[in-house]
Amino acid sequence: MNLWCTLMYLSRIEEKMLSGEYGEAIQLAMKILVKVGESLGAERLVEVNHVHISGVSYSNIGDPGLRFIEKLAEIGGSFRVFTTVNPTCIDLFGKTDIFSKDLIAGQMRIISALEKMGAEPTYTCIPYSIRKPLPNEHLAWGESNAVAMANSYYGARTNREGGPLTIASALTGRTYYAGLHILENRDVKYRVKIEYKVVDEAEASILGLYIGDKINGIPLVENAETWNFYMIKEFLASAAATGNHALIVLDNITPRDTYIIGHSIENILIDQREIKNLYNKYSSTPDISGKTLVYIGCPHLSVGELRHVANMISKYESVKENVFFLITVPYSFTSEIERYVEILRSKGVIVAYGTCPIVSKFKDKPDKVLTNSGKALFYLSKLHGLEVSLLGLKDIIRRVMTQ
Amino acid sequence: MKIFKAKEIVSGECFGEPFIVEHKISFFGEVDPSKGIIKGYDGSFKNKVLLIPGTRGSTVGSYIIYALKEYNTAPKCIIAGEAEPILIVGCILSNIPLLEVTDFNGLINCIRSDNGYVIYRRDLGGVVVEKRHSNSH
Repeated sequence: MNLWCTLMYLSRIEEKMLSGEYGEAIQLAMKILVKVGESLGAERLVEVNHVHISGVSYSNIGDPGLRFIEKLAEIGGSFRVFTTVNPTCIDLFGKTDIFSKDLIAGQMRIISALEKMGAEPTYTCIPYSIRKPLPNEHLAWGESNAVAMANSYYGARTNREGGPLTIASALTGRTYYAGLHILENRDVKYRVKIEYKVVDEAEASILGLYIGDKINGIPLVENAETWNFYMIKEFLASAAATGNHALIVLDNITPRDTYIIGHSIENILIDQREIKNLYNKYSSTPDISGKTLVYIGCPHLSVGELRHVANMISKYESVKENVFFLITVPYSFTSEIERYVEILRSKGVIVAYGTCPIVSKFKDKPDKVLTNSGKALFYLSKLHGLEVSLLGLKDIIRRVMTQ
Repeated sequence: MKIFKAKEIVSGECFGEPFIVEHKISFFGEVDPSKGIIKGYDGSFKNKVLLIPGTRGSTVGSYIIYALKEYNTAPKCIIAGEAEPILIVGCILSNIPLLEVTDFNGLINCIRSDNGYVIYRRDLGGVVVEKRHSNSH
């Protein structure tokens, strides 16, 4: 009996991949895609233009993940498609002193195996800033915030994949054709009307945390076109953290031919009072007594966002003494952001490349965390058990910088 | 003899002593791959038939299943009520046979009432429970 027979339609080249003609690594990757695809009802595979690999932090995947990724590189694995990679658990320029140092050796082995297979050394959760997705383009992305941006903002098509599946897609250049790759599955079930003006990314985060938590199925959010890009980014990242959302249609932003509107749509109203209650539910009261970590850059800041933050901070003297002010950025932006990083460092801000506290371990845990990101709030309180509060960027800077 | 219909997701032999888990597990966080044990359960599932209703949680779970093979603590096979991608990927990486049995609760009840072994019969298209002989063990 052929152990890997499948009812799925495969092209000739895909059959060869599955039978091992292209080597052991691609064969293993193909088995993963075919078996997972079958279980999800896929009738075929689809080629993808860009893979984003998640699950590469040594702090998360440990020795089991390290050994698997190394084994793929050892048996000749090689990526067939443009492949970016999520953040690691260490500051890749080694200038940050707040993450655990004993993870360096393991993380570097994961990095070198991925790069040997052909991954771009991006180490960021905003792959759309490296290569902008096109409407209706098929992708295989991990990292929930990036997936939500790809589908919702750019109108591309990707499911929310786990680490090993993204590696399988990088090796084969394919993913299974199911879920959000099919237009019929991109159907809106709820219309969300927000009856107040959302003013900053902290409020957009609260809204995201709530919608992620409460709504199952694809929502359409009205009035998001009045928000700036940063607010949209924080909104989607937060919704993807508390829920399984991979697509949230943003009215007048999401390209119109990338989703359909179902027949029976339920309306949901969210007013200001409700958001106030939610703020109290999700966030602690901001307080910067004790050892406080300020964290900006979840998801990673783009070049423009970093410039904006550097400009704001340049007007102040320095970071208050009990405060660690951390900003995280993609590894791949190194040369473009140098002068902003210099300004920030001169004011006492720590800038870390290619990492983030969510996928890392603190050397010493802070007493409190202040952030403008709903996603950071959700994971730092849930995974690291920290007391986290949410404020807009402007408010945070005003509180933690001296004049 | 009742046959519990099974779908063979990762092919291979599946028979032996059952190790029953009642709730969906997150391999990441709930399973110690170096010992082959699950939080809240006595003993190891090594070389046994691991029965779980399903999996949940982080996709790192797939790597933990892979680690079971590396540490030589893997179960003989896994029978799941619902096999979703984390579990499927983990079993493919580690070559652990994986079956999906729709009437998972029925199977567990049958194993308990008969105090029996589990055997996958490909020829019958399902899993059967065989009573132990009183003189064995």
